[in-house]
Amino acid sequence: MWAFFQWIFMNIWYGLTLNRVKRLFQGGNDVSTPIVQVRNLTKRIGSKTIIDHLNFDVQRGEVFGFLGPNGAGKTTTIRMMVGLIGITEGDVLIEGQSISENFERAIVHVGAIVENPEMYKYLSGYQNLIHFARMVPGVTKDRIEEVIRLVALENRIHDKVRTYSLGMRQRLGVAQALLHKPSLLILDEPTNGLDPAGIRELREYLHGLTREAGISVIVSSHLLSEMELMCDRVAIIQQGKLVDVQSIKELIKEGADSQVIFEVDQMELARKLLAQEPVVDAQEKAEGLLMVLDREQIAEVNERLVQGGVKVFGIQKVTQTLEEKFLQLTGGEQIV
Amino acid sequence: MFNLFLNENMKIYRRARTWMLVVLLVLTTIAFLVAQQYTVKPSQVASSDWRTNVQQQITNDQKMLDNLGTNTDRKPRLEARVKLNQYHLDHNIPPTDQTLWGNMLKASSLVMVVTVFTVIIAAESVAGEFSGGTIKMLLIRPTSRSKILLSKYLSTLVFSVLLFVILFISAFVVSGALQGFQDVGVPYVYASSDGILHESNIIQQAVSTYLYSSVQMIMIVTLAFMISTVFRSSSIAIALSLVTMFGGSSIAGFLAQYNWAKYYLFENTDLTQYLTGTPMIPGMTLGFSVTVLIVYFLVFNVLAWVVFKRRDVTA
Repeated sequence: MWAFFQWIFMNIWYGLTLNRVKRLFQGGNDVSTPIVQVRNLTKRIGSKTIIDHLNFDVQRGEVFGFLGPNGAGKTTTIRMMVGLIGITEGDVLIEGQSISENFERAIVHVGAIVENPEMYKYLSGYQNLIHFARMVPGVTKDRIEEVIRLVALENRIHDKVRTYSLGMRQRLGVAQALLHKPSLLILDEPTNGLDPAGIRELREYLHGLTREAGISVIVSSHLLSEMELMCDRVAIIQQGKLVDVQSIKELIKEGADSQVIFEVDQMELARKLLAQEPVVDAQEKAEGLLMVLDREQIAEVNERLVQGGVKVFGIQKVTQTLEEKFLQLTGGEQIV
Repeated sequence: MFNLFLNENMKIYRRARTWMLVVLLVLTTIAFLVAQQYTVKPSQVASSDWRTNVQQQITNDQKMLDNLGTNTDRKPRLEARVKLNQYHLDHNIPPTDQTLWGNMLKASSLVMVVTVFTVIIAAESVAGEFSGGTIKMLLIRPTSRSKILLSKYLSTLVFSVLLFVILFISAFVVSGALQGFQDVGVPYVYASSDGILHESNIIQQAVSTYLYSSVQMIMIVTLAFMISTVFRSSSIAIALSLVTMFGGSSIAGFLAQYNWAKYYLFENTDLTQYLTGTPMIPGMTLGFSVTVLIVYFLVFNVLAWVVFKRRDVTA
């Protein structure tokens, strides 16, 4: 009998603790509201409008990309989001708190690296972390040690930052951003100056953060290939205006999902066979026959070719790259 | 707020440069006092015993008084000096400039060195964050910009107090080493403007001499801090505030002939002018000078604060 009560009690207790843990990760706020709400965000300097009425939301636990050519206003937008630059019009809400009116209560949810992770070079990595830990209530020595282990800087943490490599500085930058367990991480051009290995490391790390800790991440970059691998959704901005917000999957898929290349042995015969099909318009390419088909048609075309005696070595979907899509969206303006 | 203050202090004292300044200050003090000691002082060459020297000076002054003739301007000063020297002899009190305290008082002009070094730290305090790019890291924390600026200003002032104490102590030790500590307890004797002799505590006299010269230091350091915040360049801040200090105080004497110059900062920084009863410009009072100083102080600080609070960080 007692064992039964104990069992029930334990279950309730665990349930409560679990909820509490969940709430901790979610920043104690309503899960359904977006973690970031950008409303009519505008920056004017003199008569020049640099950022023009941006509107978008960032959902919990997603990696949100900020894509645009250099000078499009990515950095300005990010700086407005963290309060480094004043907002002319509109607002940014983080966890429901206005960054312009309630700066301290909004920014406490944010960890950020704006452009390069510039630390005090004459201090050690550890002293840098102490410095930033002191500025937020509730960061313990244990937490600092934990973050150091997380970014694998245990061996060099007491060396001066002056002696660090760029990759190590980047990791120290991530460490200072995570000290206070933010629910939103903002990284401006985080891959700048990193070598491919460093970029990959960072990317895996970001994915880990969003999956395991439920942190939302905003990254900006002018490197499309990077964004393609890192982000769930991207906002494309150009000349201070929002061009589009799309999920990476849609962005790549949309309008381009039906270009298919058939690699065949007898190109002429295949064309003749397909000429009878009214909907298929096959073009000869070096790799094979290129045609625009939907899912069902791929199977039909394949069947016809095989029945007609054509050997099919391969069927390949040609996906439009993010780059092509981007050029299409921004009217061909070159980036990178 | 206290944490921010700790942070700013960490950024000052964990730098080798800061301690180089401290060492340099001590070395300058030693060099200055050694040079003072071995520079020939015309009135004191005669003997190592102060009584002989003082007696000699009295004889000289009396001779001069006899030959003064129509030139009566110098009469009161010479008479006062004779009286003072006689007092020293009668009460067996060595004159201050023949004890370690004489050197101590002279070393108070080294407060200028403290000013220069504090200006360097003040200039770097804000501008350094901009040039190093760390300002971005600093301002994205849940703390108001005002508190950050205040903690920077306070830590700069505390640094100046530290240098000040180091100067005072090292000047005392070096003076004592050169002149001996035997006269450390002598009273300070001086003649006030009405010719009456007073005795006072020499330590109090030394401390107040140093404190009076710190008024200008605080104004210059505040100026440097303001320029550092407004221009975000430590070199501009250092250059401008030192030019202001040396240039500004040197034209103070020239400007004193104009009445409007009483609102000029450097006519007011030397508050000892009210001890002797002869202000730089007739009509100036202690209250007036203190008010002018406070107005300058507030203008510098408010300007720095407003600019820092509203600044778009694009560094």
